[in-house]
Amino acid sequence: MAADKQLVQPAQELHELKAALDEHAIVAITDPQGRITYVNDKFCQISQYSRAELLGQDHRLINSGFHSKEFIRGLWHTITHGKVWHGEIRNRAKDGSYYWVDTTIVPFLGTDGKTREYVAIRTDITERKRAQEALERLAAIVNSSEDAIIGKTLTATITDWNPGAEALLGYTAAEAVGRHMSILYPPDRQAEEAEMLARIARGESVKHYETVRVCKDGRHVEVSVTISPIRDPSGRIVGASKVMRDITARKAAEEALRKSQEQLQSLVEQAPLSIAMLDRDFRYIVTSRRWVAEYGRGHEQLAGLRHYDVNHDLPASWKEVHRRALAGEFIQNPEDQWVQADGTERWLSWAVQPWRNPANEIAGIIISAEDITERRRAEAEIRRLNAELEDRVARRTAELEAANKELEAFSYSVSHDLRAPLRAINGFAGIILEDYGPQLPPQGREYLERVRHGGKHMGELIDDLLAFARLSRQPLVRRPVDATLLVREALAELNPGASGRRIEVRIGVLPMCDGDPILLRQVWVNLLSNAIKYTRQRAEAVVEIGYEPHAIDGAYFVRDNGVGFDMQYAGKLFGVFQRLHRAEDFEGTGVGLAIVQRVVHRHGGRAWAEAQPDRGATFYFTLKGASK
Amino acid sequence: MTHDSIEILLVEDSPDDLEMALRALRKAHLANHIHVARDGAEALDFIFGTGPHLGRKVENGPKVILLDLKLPKIDGIEVLRRVKGDPRTRMIPVVVLTSSKEQPDVVECYNLGVNSYIVKPVNFESFAGAVAELGMYWLLLNHPPQG
Repeated sequence: MAADKQLVQPAQELHELKAALDEHAIVAITDPQGRITYVNDKFCQISQYSRAELLGQDHRLINSGFHSKEFIRGLWHTITHGKVWHGEIRNRAKDGSYYWVDTTIVPFLGTDGKTREYVAIRTDITERKRAQEALERLAAIVNSSEDAIIGKTLTATITDWNPGAEALLGYTAAEAVGRHMSILYPPDRQAEEAEMLARIARGESVKHYETVRVCKDGRHVEVSVTISPIRDPSGRIVGASKVMRDITARKAAEEALRKSQEQLQSLVEQAPLSIAMLDRDFRYIVTSRRWVAEYGRGHEQLAGLRHYDVNHDLPASWKEVHRRALAGEFIQNPEDQWVQADGTERWLSWAVQPWRNPANEIAGIIISAEDITERRRAEAEIRRLNAELEDRVARRTAELEAANKELEAFSYSVSHDLRAPLRAINGFAGIILEDYGPQLPPQGREYLERVRHGGKHMGELIDDLLAFARLSRQPLVRRPVDATLLVREALAELNPGASGRRIEVRIGVLPMCDGDPILLRQVWVNLLSNAIKYTRQRAEAVVEIGYEPHAIDGAYFVRDNGVGFDMQYAGKLFGVFQRLHRAEDFEGTGVGLAIVQRVVHRHGGRAWAEAQPDRGATFYFTLKGASK
Repeated sequence: MTHDSIEILLVEDSPDDLEMALRALRKAHLANHIHVARDGAEALDFIFGTGPHLGRKVENGPKVILLDLKLPKIDGIEVLRRVKGDPRTRMIPVVVLTSSKEQPDVVECYNLGVNSYIVKPVNFESFAGAVAELGMYWLLLNHPPQG
């Protein structure tokens, strides 16, 4: 019995032990080939297979495919060598779901020393694994977040620091963890932390708080911060999580948008015309200041008010215009007259048009108006002044024409009336000399000669004066003129050789010019006759005719080696009847150079002279349109 | 001196110019055939046989007319126009004598058919010479066609 008892006793114990094991663990036994020979209820329960389905199968039935080949190979290597394997395995239940088991496989050896069977004892750790996976996922999310995620204690010591925080603020996790949050605060915001902590301690959270933080390199960065309390499992607040987002770019974009909106707003408000944007209900959205001043009826702000409420006396015709604009029409009147309440007349230039929202629907109308009363008044004034000016010009022209006529009459009268008595003086002086000359004493004859000489000179003066006056009236006929030919003609007319003097005439290369050949010929005749006249005292007179291309526009010139003149009198040279030499020395009327200048001026040119007393003179003239 | 023998009609209002012209013509031995008119009206009366010259035959007109332009009553241009506008007198050579060089005069005289035109120079000799030459020229060399 004792033996039985001894035997019964361990069997009983074993049975109880197995019951306890089945209660706690998942148990399976396989043969050396891996075929399942025993499973307990817990195995069936977790794998969702029935015992009948499991027995005789190997463990591939519940293989999740999660573990690597090396892992499986290692397992088998261990147990086929008679060693106990311990590890965590993910299996697949019948419905495809996974479960994790903490596994111990014990090989049992037979008397032959070979493995008889394997006993696998497993504990369900699925819940723990899931929690761990969730934590890992969370950590991955935190680590991959571009936002800075920071954990801190209630005394503001940094406890957690994700890569996003490093990217944003520059500190690595190693540098930041353990330090005080104040390293991230600009000096003027140090108080913020205490306030935040106080709120966190009260269990409140702070959402999207926009502030500025300091980076490791001292740079300031604009951030949006959300802070939430962290509680331990017992619900006690032990710290705070901070999610910080860089909003520098957003802030810049917001600032740019705000500025652009402000500018647009200013543009509309300060536009120098009356402009109003109305919605479909004709409520003001935005108005220019001038609009408010002119049509605001005393309101300081119009936004939100209805156009028709502000202007309750608006005529039906205007309402019709608004209605048409809202239907898509653009209506305008550049000059519209209206009469103010006080009876004064005003002029308006206005336009009414629809405006469209981004969806391209008509969302309201824009009315713009400009008071053009002043402009019209100014225009009328200009028209009046113009008319007056034209009238004045016409009057002046008539006066000028009359003066011209008078001048013509004067010239005519000079030539007739002055020449007639002159002719009598000359004529009868001549007749006396001819008929009674012999009876006169020599002195008397000489005086009579003087009378005739004076008369003759006066005749020349009159002739030259008339010629000069004619220059202004004669029309200018421009055509290409060969200057060399003109010079040769003038020389032929003057015939300097006839005097018996030695005069060397040098003619340089003269370009063609555009001008009136008849008038230009007078220029050359006058300049050349002067050159011949004023070189009279020279044994060898030299007259040089040329062209100076470097002067303004290029200038023709006549140079002589004659008596010249003092440049201080140069200003008198070209005046009518102006003479720089005594009549006894050089005869002349003083009209020649005046003619030269008049002709040159009429050609748009300029005449001037350079000289020294007794060293000769050079007379230059330019003509507009002289070709080089 | 009968009207028929008149060869030169001298129309001149200025006594000075008249005296000088007559002296020049005298010297050229042409003075016997001169009739003098002192203004345009008198010249026209003589040419067309009207007024004091009523009865004088137009056809027996002067052989040449020396005509000053600036004349009292009717001016030289008008006299020229009437002479050249009438078929009976159109062939009489007219020499305009004037101190005017003004172009409108010259152009108008040519338009009206003047035969010659001389500007009275201030120079006495040339004036006398010109008058004498012209008188001779038109009288002796340039016989107008008779008809």
